[in-house]
Amino acid sequence: MTEPPAAKPAVALRATAAGTAVSLLLILAIVFGSRRLKDFDSALLPYACATVFLAFGVAYRYTVWISSPGARRLFRQGWRSLFSAANFRRAPTALPRMAATYLGFQKFLGARSHARWAAHQLIFWGCLLAAAITLPLTWGWFTFTSSTGSGPGYEMRIWGVKILGFDSLNVLGWLMFHGLDIAAVLVIPGASYFLWRRMKDRGAITGQRFAYDLVPLILLIVISVTGLLLTFSSIFLHGGGYEFLAVLHMVSVVLTLIYIPFGKFFHIVQRPAAVGMQLFKYTARQDEQVFHCRRCGQPVDTAPYVENLRGTMRDLDLGFDAWAEYCPRCKRVLRGTAYLAHVKKGYK
Amino acid sequence: MMGRTIFIDPGRCIGCQACVSACRECDSHRGKSMIHLDYPDEGHSVASLPTVCMHCEDPVAPCAEVCPADAILVTADGVVQQADTTRCIGCANCVNACPFGVPKIDLQAKLQMKCNLCYDRTAYGLAPMCATVCPTGALFYGTVEELRAERPGVQVADSFTFGDVVVSTGVAMVVPADKVQWPVPGGLPIVEVNGRTVR
Repeated sequence: MTEPPAAKPAVALRATAAGTAVSLLLILAIVFGSRRLKDFDSALLPYACATVFLAFGVAYRYTVWISSPGARRLFRQGWRSLFSAANFRRAPTALPRMAATYLGFQKFLGARSHARWAAHQLIFWGCLLAAAITLPLTWGWFTFTSSTGSGPGYEMRIWGVKILGFDSLNVLGWLMFHGLDIAAVLVIPGASYFLWRRMKDRGAITGQRFAYDLVPLILLIVISVTGLLLTFSSIFLHGGGYEFLAVLHMVSVVLTLIYIPFGKFFHIVQRPAAVGMQLFKYTARQDEQVFHCRRCGQPVDTAPYVENLRGTMRDLDLGFDAWAEYCPRCKRVLRGTAYLAHVKKGYK
Repeated sequence: MMGRTIFIDPGRCIGCQACVSACRECDSHRGKSMIHLDYPDEGHSVASLPTVCMHCEDPVAPCAEVCPADAILVTADGVVQQADTTRCIGCANCVNACPFGVPKIDLQAKLQMKCNLCYDRTAYGLAPMCATVCPTGALFYGTVEELRAERPGVQVADSFTFGDVVVSTGVAMVVPADKVQWPVPGGLPIVEVNGRTVR
């Protein structure tokens, strides 16, 4: 595949500044969130370093991404729609509804395939649960301490503040200590289904690339399996092989965190911006600002959207932006008519 | 123009829809046809126009350029692929920016789909489904030399005008010999107000 062109110097500079600022903010959040490193677990240092790199990479790529004309214009319109008081008064539930159906339950994936939707939901909720547990732990924001040294009574603290006390032997305690195992059990079948599909489905195989399509699935499975094996080792093997598994698990997690800004996982960061695009179109539709095809009168899209697209095309020096005012069918029919009239008159 | 590509000859098209049916069988968009078959002068003429993705080369893939999610990739062989399912947000920028009216969108699935020159077949040297089944040769797949071996003296054009913009494409159209030196009109209506072109 042809790679996107390298970022322009000004954009690269802005992206580097954004990446540096975000990673510095994260370092500060780690230092102060862990009460000046008092609660920081040094055994988790590689994970914390990987998240700092992740913060830099995501901020860098995000800045480059929203600097391209198409993304920049829709990004601005999305935020404008989000912060519009008039839009909020007219449709106060639009944003939470879209966030839930689009980002949470991903209804659009169900329209593509029920099996893919189910598998993606497993991966999504599994990864969300794992991130919600792992990131605050590696940053030293969460601590689990026992006044008796070895339990079973534990206290959970966030930023040093006690949130709850629990018995590690009851159901809540079991859930608290096996949250990552539950996440792994959710992720493994989801990622395995996608991996199987990548081997068998000819549609999926068409144009697939190892680093882009297969590596992320393999990484998810390796993380989940090594994570489960850590629990297996501590329960059934009395810690046998634990250190090796812990290193293997750490390496796979660190590689995944570093991979996020560059590969398929970047869609995790990109997707929420799409809610802004939906909101932009939705609010214009509420106002009945629909743009109709200049030739057949069928709706093309919302009027502000068509104007926004024409602006994007002008930014890109695509000098046929007026063509966006015609529906796709009329463009083809007009081209066919022009061919009949000016190129090959005998074709009737 | 690509080496091996599709050559469209609307003069040979009989509107039989075989290409539309065959396109549905393509593995990368099973059950959904990506080729368009339009009747420009319906009711007065039997003329029909098959439209596949023209795989624009200059400017390279306007659909990909306007995509806010970097979802449309162009392979090194010049084939403009359909949207990456992970990235496509279903905004329809590509649908409305394409000068040839090619991409389709599934608003429920928030997914763009388009002709990808049957990449599952052409990557292995096979002809696309539409060209394989076309009974009249309105859709021909091969090199221009192979086309001329079958149709001596045939002329093709791979540039189209939209207003004052010329778009060069990877897919070509058959044109009469006296028209080959001019780009094929893209169909953008010219509206003149007081002698000045406004569209």
